[in-house]
Amino acid sequence: MQTCIKPEPSVLDEKDKKGETMSGRVIVITSGKGGVGKTTTNANIGTALAKAGNKVVMIDTDLGLRNLDLLLGLENRIVYTIVDVVEERCKLKQALVKDKKNPNLCLLAAAQTRDKTAVTEEQLKNICEELKKDFDFILVDCPAGIEQGFQNAVAGASEAIVVTTPEMSAVRDADRIIGLLESKEEIKSYKLLINRVRPNLIKSNDMMSVEDVVEILSAPLIGIIPEDTGIITSTNKGEPIVNDEKSLAGKAYQNVAKRITGEDVPFLNLEEDTGVMAKVKKFFSGLMGKEK
Amino acid sequence: MNENIFTNLYNKVLGFFRQTDKEENAKDIACNRLRVVLMQDRTNLTPELMERMRKELIELLSKYVEMDKEALELNLEQDGDQMALMLSIPVLRARNEEEIEAELAKEDAEKEEVQEASDDADTEHADEETGDKDTVAVTEEEDEAVQEDDKSADVKVTAKEENLSPDDTEKSKK
Repeated sequence: MQTCIKPEPSVLDEKDKKGETMSGRVIVITSGKGGVGKTTTNANIGTALAKAGNKVVMIDTDLGLRNLDLLLGLENRIVYTIVDVVEERCKLKQALVKDKKNPNLCLLAAAQTRDKTAVTEEQLKNICEELKKDFDFILVDCPAGIEQGFQNAVAGASEAIVVTTPEMSAVRDADRIIGLLESKEEIKSYKLLINRVRPNLIKSNDMMSVEDVVEILSAPLIGIIPEDTGIITSTNKGEPIVNDEKSLAGKAYQNVAKRITGEDVPFLNLEEDTGVMAKVKKFFSGLMGKEK
Repeated sequence: MNENIFTNLYNKVLGFFRQTDKEENAKDIACNRLRVVLMQDRTNLTPELMERMRKELIELLSKYVEMDKEALELNLEQDGDQMALMLSIPVLRARNEEEIEAELAKEDAEKEEVQEASDDADTEHADEETGDKDTVAVTEEEDEAVQEDDKSADVKVTAKEENLSPDDTEKSKK
C-alpha cells in the first residue's frame, strides 16, 4: 500500500558497515516533477563520491532529453550512448565517458535522438549488473514523470534518492514517487533530498520548512541543499558546484555524499547570520577553538 | 492633490498593518492544502466519499448515543508513519437501555426485510446476535468506501438512509 513507510530506513548505512563495497551500489535519483534538480543532484553527488576516492559511473536514462553531459561539461566527448550499448554497436566499456578531472568518474550518456522505448527495463537491469562489478557507485539519473522512463531507471536500482523542493507541487509528486518506490521489491531503501531551500522565505513563513516537508512525506532525510545562484554559473561552465569549496550548496552536496558512504554528518545550519558582526564573532570563536 | 497623497498614505499604512495581522501565512496554507490533497491521493477517498462515510457513521452511532450531528468531525490525519481516521463526536446525552434496545430491534426488523428482499444476500448476518451489530456495520461501511459493486451492502445502506434521515437523502444512491 502507498501509505505505509518502509521500516528499515538505514539500509544505506548498514551495507557499508559490512564492507560490501566490492559489489557496487545502484542508486536511482528521481523526483516525479521536472526541474527540481535531479540532474544537478546526480552530477554533484557523483563528483563528490568520486573525489572521495570511489569509482563512480552515472547513467543518464533521460533518452531524448539528455542533460547530465552538459552539467559535467562532457557533451563534446560522447561517442557512444546507452542505446548503442543496448543495440550492440559497441561494448559497454567503450561507451563510458571519463570525466575531465577525475578518472574515477564516468558517464554513460543517453541517446538524444531516440525516445524512452529504445531501452527496456531488462536491458537497464543488465547494464547495472555489469557495471556493479567495476564500480562502487552507479547513479541512475531518472527522467521526470512516472511513465516508462521512470520504470526503466528504477529497474536496476536497489536504493533511491527522491529529490524535491519545498513547493506544493514538488512535494505532491514526491509523495507519488515514494508510493511507487514502496511498491517495488528491488528498492530496499529510499531517502529524501530537499533542494532549493530558501532560508529567508522559510523564516518569514512564506515557504514550507524542511521539517514540514519531512513530516508531510514522513521519509528519512539525506540532504538539504540551499538555493544557490552559483548553480547557474556552475551549469554554464559545465563544472559541478561541489568543486567550488566556497559554495554552501556545494558543501551541502558534499555532505550528502558523505552520508551515502555511511558518515554521520550533521545538516548544515542554513540560517546562519552572514552579517559583518557574525563574521567577526565567528573569527574569534574560531581562534578560541584552535587554542584548545 | 494633497488629499490624494494622504489617502494613499493612509491606505498604505493600513495595508501594512493588515498584512502583519493576517492569521494564516503562506506556509501554513501550503501545508494544510498539501495534507488534504495527499490524503486524497493516498486513500482514494474523495471529499464526497468522506461526507458519505460521515453520514453513515452518524446513523450508526445515533443508535447508541444522542449526539450533536452537525458537530461530528471525521478527518484523515497522519501521525508519523501511521494514517489515522479521526472521529470526534460531541455526545449530548447517553441513551438509556430501552432506547438502545428499541433502536436495535428496529434495525433488526429492517435487516430482515432487506434480507427477504434480496434473497441470496449473505446469510451470516441474519442469524447474528445484537451484540455483534457493531462489527457488521463497520464492514458495511468499508465495503462502501472501497468498492461500490457490492450490491447487498448498497441496498442496506440506502434502506437505512430512507428510514432514519429523510432529509439527508440527496446524496443517496437512488
